[in-house]
Amino acid sequence: MSESLEKLQNRILSEAKHKADETIKEAQAKSQQILEDARQRAQKESEEIITKGNVEAESIRRSILSSKVRVNRLRILDEKNRIVEDIIHSVEDQLSRISKSEQFEETAQRFVTEAVKAVDTDQPVVRIGFRDVSKRNLDGVSRVLPKGGKLVIDEKPIDDLGGVVATDPEGKVVFNNTFKSRLERLDNQLLTLISSTVFGE
Amino acid sequence: MSGIDAVKKIVETEAQARRIVDEASAKAQQIISQTREQAELIRQEAIARAQQRREEILSEAKNKAEAEALRSDQETEQILNSYRKLSEERKAAAVSKAVELILNA
Repeated sequence: MSESLEKLQNRILSEAKHKADETIKEAQAKSQQILEDARQRAQKESEEIITKGNVEAESIRRSILSSKVRVNRLRILDEKNRIVEDIIHSVEDQLSRISKSEQFEETAQRFVTEAVKAVDTDQPVVRIGFRDVSKRNLDGVSRVLPKGGKLVIDEKPIDDLGGVVATDPEGKVVFNNTFKSRLERLDNQLLTLISSTVFGE
Repeated sequence: MSGIDAVKKIVETEAQARRIVDEASAKAQQIISQTREQAELIRQEAIARAQQRREEILSEAKNKAEAEALRSDQETEQILNSYRKLSEERKAAAVSKAVELILNA
């Protein structure tokens, strides 16, 4: 009786120890799995952070560079505009002083002829005004007017720089042949000419 | 040994067995709990390293872009200087051609 009781006790304890060992082993296995999962998750999260970092870095790089390129393009454009404007001011200055050049009479006659032709009437009214020009300087202009034409001489340059404006007798048809109008009409050609001459473009 | 004593012995042994199992269960819980803490630490350390690397990447990109921007400034300055020089050399010719255009076009 005593011997079989001892066996029973041993078996109960042995089963309990076995169960305890199994529990610990399971915990250890689960523990390994938890660590492995954690490492994999950490690896994945790290890679995502690095990937996003690379994308963000490229974005920062592009932002800095595109901003700088934009600013520098504007600086270049500003400088080219400044140079072109400076040249146009010099052109306007020369044009406004044309009365002192040998070309004046021929130019004035041609401007009048063009304007008269443009308004296409037998009785054109031609207004002419250049800086530092007297009636005496405009004798040649009268010769190119049609017989019914009328010449009006302005003491001041028309449109600041000088030129010619022709109208029909009623003033309905107007052709502005001042330097300012010619500058405006030839604006594109003028800019192309200046750019090609200065910048070789 | 009487029957009552034998039953007492069995009851005591079963109680001892339960303690063994309970202790193992508690120890297992502790192992899991510690492992979870360790796993969280591994994750946090890995993320911290990744964040550090990210900061380095951003800083490198910024420095590189600023160096490129500086080169762009230098190139622009060269272009501006060349335009100023061209302007000085060719202004008279440009003015002359432009005046001719306005007079004769």
